[in-house]
Amino acid sequence: MANKIQLGVSLYSFSTEFIHETLNFEQILEKAHNMGYRGVEIVAAQMVPNYPYPTDEWLAECKALLAKYELEPVCWSAYIDMGIRSDRDLTEDEIIQFTLNDLQYAKKAGFPMVRTQHAISPAIFRKMLPYCQELGVKLTIEMHHPHHPALPVWQEYLSIMKNEGKGWLGIVPDFSIFQTMPHQLYLNQSIDFGCRPEKLDEIVKMHAQKADMALIDNGDFSEIEKHIAHEMREKFSAPAKMEQWKDIIDVTEYIHGKFYYLDNDDHDPCIPFEELLTTIRDLGYEGYIASEYEGHHFDETVDSEVQLKHFVALCTKILNS
Amino acid sequence: MDFQAYNKILLCKTPIRNVEIDGVNVGYEFQIKYPSYRGAFLSCIEELKFWVDGNAIADGDISFALNGKEFLVGELPECFKEYWYVRTPATIRVRRHGAIGPGEHSVRVYMKHRVPYTGYFGEYLVLDSDVTGTLTTEVG
Repeated sequence: MANKIQLGVSLYSFSTEFIHETLNFEQILEKAHNMGYRGVEIVAAQMVPNYPYPTDEWLAECKALLAKYELEPVCWSAYIDMGIRSDRDLTEDEIIQFTLNDLQYAKKAGFPMVRTQHAISPAIFRKMLPYCQELGVKLTIEMHHPHHPALPVWQEYLSIMKNEGKGWLGIVPDFSIFQTMPHQLYLNQSIDFGCRPEKLDEIVKMHAQKADMALIDNGDFSEIEKHIAHEMREKFSAPAKMEQWKDIIDVTEYIHGKFYYLDNDDHDPCIPFEELLTTIRDLGYEGYIASEYEGHHFDETVDSEVQLKHFVALCTKILNS
Repeated sequence: MDFQAYNKILLCKTPIRNVEIDGVNVGYEFQIKYPSYRGAFLSCIEELKFWVDGNAIADGDISFALNGKEFLVGELPECFKEYWYVRTPATIRVRRHGAIGPGEHSVRVYMKHRVPYTGYFGEYLVLDSDVTGTLTTEVG
């Protein structure tokens, strides 16, 4: 089937360069342009000065810089920071205020979509619809690990998106929900934290075989090895099912092409890109998939640009297959 | 273990600086940054402790300066409107009598902080960032 999917980039992929101050915001935009990207996503809490109360001047400058580097604003990423306060979670009014602010900032900076998080709640999500329509800005919820479409709260969200919210309220599936195996940077870090390499190999094999965790708990493993084995099981054992794409594709406004580490242009052993990308393409998805490199959580010595180039080559090959 | 690589930015490599008023030393200062890929409100900091050359600094001797204001460590959990941008260093001023000596000093920072958006099933991820580095006293 002909491919109508475009690959964009989340500027969050350049987290290492941004937080270590080897690249500033404009230099990251320039790099994205030079790499051939057009559609971009910004994580506002990361890159927007004075966030969550940015100035109109900065938002206008952001819009101008995107135009200067011929970049298309695709997604303004926001959070539901439920745990800001030490004494309680955010109230409904506070969540609405933060979300409304993000919709307005996105509008000012030229972004047609805000990505929020599942903690917004179905009731508040529904209440945001008139604001979206008024501003002409879509509101989408990221479906990120450990969530998947079968959870009751997601059934409710999907119903809102498919009915009264159609065209304005949607979903951003993140490829992390399809991850089955730990990535190389995670394994390297586990060794840095004291796992013995031969024991880690054993743990990875046991993970792949879905071995009984009692074998870990009662086996010859150190505390950190047991911790890693449990974390691995918790994180990578309940991937979403490929056939669930057909239930969500009509409300999928954008996709996070999450990846952690690629050492080649051909294959990733952790996330099933071949099946994912052909499934999405064959269901007729025509939007953007963001290149979203996230290895910076684990290793700050990896060059983000090299990672992104592997990702684009891998995806392009699969999408055109 | 997500977030761990960000601990590398916690302790800034900038020199320790003695602080003087008309030639009278009123302490010394160094800089730290928020150890994440993004900024957060100061209220997400649950604990913050410092050791210089192996000696713990009492909370009351520390002033945490950010956004043109100064806070006591004990005030941070209340600062739910004070955002710490990920590229902005906070200045840690140790208000002690006597200058810090020249040369290299071991500085340890321990921060326990809540990742405010991680309450997927009600519990927030709380991270321990514990970093020790060597800083040099600024000359002159």
